Amino acid sequence: MTDEPAILHVDRLTKRFPGVVALKEVTFDLREGEIHALCGENGAGKSTLIKCISGVWPHDSYEGAITVRGRPARFGNLADAKQAGIAVIYQELALVGGMTVAENIFLGNEPTRGGLIDWNKVYADTAALLKRYGLDLDPAALVHSLGIGQQQLVEIVKALSKDSKILLLDEPTAALTETEVEILLRIVKDLRRHGVTCIYISHKLDEVMAIADRITVLRDGSSIATLEARRTSKDEVIRNMVGRPITDLFPRHSRNPGEVILEVRNLSVKHPVEDRLVLEDISFFLRRGEVLGIGGLMGAGRTELLMHLYAATGERTAGKASFAGEPLCGNSPGESLARGLALVSEDRKRFGLILEKDIGFNLSLSSLGTLCSGGFIDANAEIKENRRFFEFLRVKAPSLEAPVGTLSGGNQQKVVIGKILMTSPQVVLLDEPTRGIDVGAKLEVYELINRLTADGKAVILVSSEMPELLGVSDRLLILSEGKVGGEFPDTHVTQTDLLKAAMAHC
Amino acid sequence: MNKLPLRDFSMVAALFAIIACFGAISPEFLGARNLSLFAIQIAITASLALGMLLVLLPGQIDLSVGSGVGLLGGLCAVLIFHHNIPAPLAFVITLAGALVIWLLMGALIAWQRVPAFIITLGGLLVFQGVFQLVIRNSTVPIQHGDVTNFVSALTTCYFPPIVSYGIFAAVSAVFVFSMWHRRGQRIRHGFEVEDWELFFLKAAVAVQALLLLVIVGNNYRGLPLSLAILGLLAVGIHLLTTQTPFGRYLYAIGGNREAAVVSGIPVNKVIISAYAILGLIVAMVGCLQTAYQGSSTATVGKQMELDAIAACVIGGTSLTGGKGNVLGVLIGALIIGTLINGMTLMGASEEAKFIVRGAVLALAVWMDVRLNRK
Repeated sequence: MTDEPAILHVDRLTKRFPGVVALKEVTFDLREGEIHALCGENGAGKSTLIKCISGVWPHDSYEGAITVRGRPARFGNLADAKQAGIAVIYQELALVGGMTVAENIFLGNEPTRGGLIDWNKVYADTAALLKRYGLDLDPAALVHSLGIGQQQLVEIVKALSKDSKILLLDEPTAALTETEVEILLRIVKDLRRHGVTCIYISHKLDEVMAIADRITVLRDGSSIATLEARRTSKDEVIRNMVGRPITDLFPRHSRNPGEVILEVRNLSVKHPVEDRLVLEDISFFLRRGEVLGIGGLMGAGRTELLMHLYAATGERTAGKASFAGEPLCGNSPGESLARGLALVSEDRKRFGLILEKDIGFNLSLSSLGTLCSGGFIDANAEIKENRRFFEFLRVKAPSLEAPVGTLSGGNQQKVVIGKILMTSPQVVLLDEPTRGIDVGAKLEVYELINRLTADGKAVILVSSEMPELLGVSDRLLILSEGKVGGEFPDTHVTQTDLLKAAMAHC
Repeated sequence: MNKLPLRDFSMVAALFAIIACFGAISPEFLGARNLSLFAIQIAITASLALGMLLVLLPGQIDLSVGSGVGLLGGLCAVLIFHHNIPAPLAFVITLAGALVIWLLMGALIAWQRVPAFIITLGGLLVFQGVFQLVIRNSTVPIQHGDVTNFVSALTTCYFPPIVSYGIFAAVSAVFVFSMWHRRGQRIRHGFEVEDWELFFLKAAVAVQALLLLVIVGNNYRGLPLSLAILGLLAVGIHLLTTQTPFGRYLYAIGGNREAAVVSGIPVNKVIISAYAILGLIVAMVGCLQTAYQGSSTATVGKQMELDAIAACVIGGTSLTGGKGNVLGVLIGALIIGTLINGMTLMGASEEAKFIVRGAVLALAVWMDVRLNRK
């Protein structure tokens, strides 16, 4: 393998942004036919590197050189990179939901006959492509009727249909269920046979270890090491990513639960649009100083439960909830926040942040009422408060005035968490707080949870990652199809037990 | 971060180029009489545009303000001329009427989630019809004979030179002090600040522009009251949008409405309030415009909504929400107003004025898109 020629070579690439050096002399090479994983913490420079390789940042905006098959590549834009056979599959999919699989694959590239689209060819070619890569998809299926995993596959096939030889996969599994992940990994592995080379970015190290041939670790904008996947271990990768060994993935302090602060009895909640229940007969309680983990498969109603308690969505049809002894039937998120119940949404870009605004704007957004004097915002008080959380959460950014949209996922998450902590909540609902963020930032989230519980606050943690659920929670509630699938008073259970509970009503 | 100054600069440069152009073509453009009248027109256009800014920021729009200006000005004139109601009371009734109408439209838009475009397009047509009914298709003077009243004084009252200079001195002092104070505050909190040279340049340009305005005004009759009203309104809206939670919420809703809801912002109340404030401004502008024309006729306010939206957009306000500021809107209103005034002086036809306004709007947005891309 070692003497195979580099299909893509990045030589001492340096990319600067105002106030930050995002990449420092990064050197990296890609051998034909390999799967090469890029690992690094948030803000380590993975996304920037991908953007340089794929032409998002034009060649004159960075120093250093990129060569493709020995020839210098000077991409001015995405199209130039595509021309050279480089395609990027982003986390956020670029498909048109109301069109069929085949229409999407040939979008912008439709074969014509006599000036009209040759639909027979579109569908026949799509069927051939799908068959070639061993995918069981209907070319005539509408994209929005597919699961996210299948949509991801359509996106990949779309890139391959344009004869891409180098695929850049940016967190392709972040939103997928475990089965979908397996299918995707199988297909990516399979691409090797078809002469496709992949750069694979993921925070899920198990996945990386399972699939990659080589792993390049970035840290603080520099390429730290390139490891042969077969000759390394997860620990070594992590060590390289953080620059120090992480001894305990789930730091845990002993907790002393206090009185019950949140109690839910026989709660049923209606779907916002359709005429069915998303939650049925849910009962649980939460005490001060403890973490209740809520697990379950996708669509089990976990997010709906949190959003309903927070009074953001969902109409209650039956049952009761009480918060600190008072009934909880909130009318608005504003009221929930005022009473001390806060939510960190699973989708920070959609529900969490005003991306074009700066960090300070976002941090203080939910607390402006308390930062006022005489009707006007007290600028001094606001900046002080913002600075406090900015430093407390160790947000990596040039200043409070950096637009949130320019931050990495983990740092964006810290801003969302900072925003809700500034409201001094008593109960914090965390919906997938570590999704799409790296090991170091995850650890910081766990430590934060410990600090909250030590202060007598209560936390509900919703997570799809079972080790996290088991590692962080004190008690577990597993939802299954909107109902309680199982309750565990402690975390001395196996992942199999959890999975069984999650499937209880399927 | 480097985009904004470039954009502001290009807008100011464009404004000066337009003024220089008209000044060269028709000398009376820069004459004291024209500039003084021009100031009143600008005060009217810019006030309405500032109101529009409040609904554009949260991603809404209001197409009904032009018809509203006609209707409310007409209402005020009818109350004064036909019903002999004292002008101040007529003015207050007009404000109250506007408040009710715009609260209603705001409620329909926010609570019932009918698109603002549709509700206010409906408003445009309804107000137009009601306007004709109110003034009974006739011309209604805003005052009895030559007796100046509270409303007609809005555009005929001028501050005498000595008072104008006093206002100038006070405003300049407050302005420079607040700039200096803000700078000191930023330094204390460790934020980047512009260097002293740029600071002095900005302060000097602003103070000189104010002084020029006062001198020109004094050459004619003095500083027009309506310009002072615009000044107050501009400062008020600036403070409202930048220094209050309400203002922050406007930007947050325009930037990401769902995130604003989850952040605990009372989104509907904020939107309705924005429309209510806009309604009050529409009523005031209705009185100003009717007073400026001397009487209410069916053409008052026609297409003013387009100038207001154009001024906002030229000034960098985003129609999708979340972006825009008072200074930009003022510059945008100046550009639009200068074009209309200059062309009127040149004797350009109405047709030509429409074409140029449209072209400038398209050009400004195109430039904005270009500048934002880099």
